[in-house]
Amino acid sequence: MALLNAIKGVGLGLKRELIPQIQNLYQNSSIANINFVEIAPENWIGAGGKAAQDLAWFTERYPVACHGLCLSLGGPDPLNINFLKQVKAFLAEHKIPLYTEHLSYCSDIQHGKAGYLYDLLPIPFTEEAVHYVAKRIRQTQDILEQRIAVENTSFYVSAPISSMDEITFLNAVLAEADCNLHLDINNIYVNSINFGFDAHAFLRKIPKECIVYSHIAGHYQEAPDLLVDTHGEDVIDPVWELLENAYQLFGTFPTLLERDTNIPPLPELMPEVNKIAAIQEKALC
Amino acid sequence: MLDFQRYQLEFTAHIRSPKTAKKPANVPDARMAVYREIVFNNIFGSASACFPVCRTILGNRAWLKLTRQFFALHQATTPIFREIPQEFLKFIATVTNLPVYFQQLAHYEWVELAIGLQTATTPKLSKNTELLDESPALAPAHMLLEYNYPVHKISAKFKPKNEEKTYLLVFRNNKFEVKFIELNPTTFQLLKLIHENDMTGEQALVSLSEHIQHPDTNAVIAFGLEILQDLTEQGAIIGSVKTN
Repeated sequence: MALLNAIKGVGLGLKRELIPQIQNLYQNSSIANINFVEIAPENWIGAGGKAAQDLAWFTERYPVACHGLCLSLGGPDPLNINFLKQVKAFLAEHKIPLYTEHLSYCSDIQHGKAGYLYDLLPIPFTEEAVHYVAKRIRQTQDILEQRIAVENTSFYVSAPISSMDEITFLNAVLAEADCNLHLDINNIYVNSINFGFDAHAFLRKIPKECIVYSHIAGHYQEAPDLLVDTHGEDVIDPVWELLENAYQLFGTFPTLLERDTNIPPLPELMPEVNKIAAIQEKALC
Repeated sequence: MLDFQRYQLEFTAHIRSPKTAKKPANVPDARMAVYREIVFNNIFGSASACFPVCRTILGNRAWLKLTRQFFALHQATTPIFREIPQEFLKFIATVTNLPVYFQQLAHYEWVELAIGLQTATTPKLSKNTELLDESPALAPAHMLLEYNYPVHKISAKFKPKNEEKTYLLVFRNNKFEVKFIELNPTTFQLLKLIHENDMTGEQALVSLSEHIQHPDTNAVIAFGLEILQDLTEQGAIIGSVKTN
């Protein structure tokens, strides 16, 4: 089994478009700062053909982290045990040491039937929801027989029934579930604009000991007070500052660049990967 | 059901069907609009990528309506993204006002995606390919398909009006490309015989000859061998395996 500490330095989200480019430049100094990659199990479980060959290529050469999208930790329908067992087998087969998921939901029950919506929806921040989600995270960890990390997610609607703010909710879940945190720096910034809070104050309340790794990404500005988390633009300065601040507060931790839409050629993404490495180095001094 | 879950279900019901389900109370519409768009666009993109010909046949407006209905009415049960098109196939089986060939066309479009990503193990092939004395081995990722319409020819300019039995072999070659070969009914039967039974090429051809009551078994064997050789050249047959 690969070890969790293999995930270090800087990572890059493994999108299909990037696969041949990384393969072509493998061991070239221009991409030396890519230390690990991240995949969504929902894209790779059970895939054969070229996909299986590509996955084998990467797992032989790079540490891989699994970042899930469809577990629906906050969903109203029962946790998909069958899927979790597939995830468990997938992690074991490919020697992937880490599985993280979103603190959100992507499924519902309509007309008496459970179904997926395939997107990250906001869990209302209530006491009941804390207990409910924490229980499902524990159940997940029991089945996988390993700790998972949950990611703070970007939102556009705050539920009128919420009885606490996001950081209180996040901390309550982390404590009750006894799980790790996949810290998304961009999501803190996006939510701070969308809901008008101080991103740095939010960051200061993050429990340092829970962080396994972090995400950084660009977003789309739809209105001055509305950012949409597209992962389709360059990372903006306030988000870089937030990352720097996070390293100052907590020490460095592995950080991965997410680029999911509007993906430029790899050489144009590398400056952002290299910038993460430079900020990490600076934080060590 | 817990209070926050009641809210969640109102929230998703509205995203799925904004016209029939109201948004939760006191939620700003401009923010709700983000979810209405991004969640549907994701589903729409997934269906449009897999079913380009279906989309062309219906036209953009009807395609949008159909994918909207899919999202509003169908509860998809798979968390695996590449299986969303299968959910779409399940859904259109319940829709009544589509062209008669539509379901089969959609199935055929899905097959291309499915074969490309199918997991398949290559059998242990003999050193020398013996198409008659051993069992010809089809490319491990393949499907032998029978349709009532020539689904592979359908386009905006060709919408079949009458049924026409169509037999196709869709397979993935060793370069991971998905290819299709149109088969005549006899070749289709031959490949089914070989694939579904542990038969040598010759046994299958003899059996076929009896089945079609051909007067000259040797002629069937000779002709059958040509067909098997041709399929080998096209990469659909990858060699032969010993029978048990």
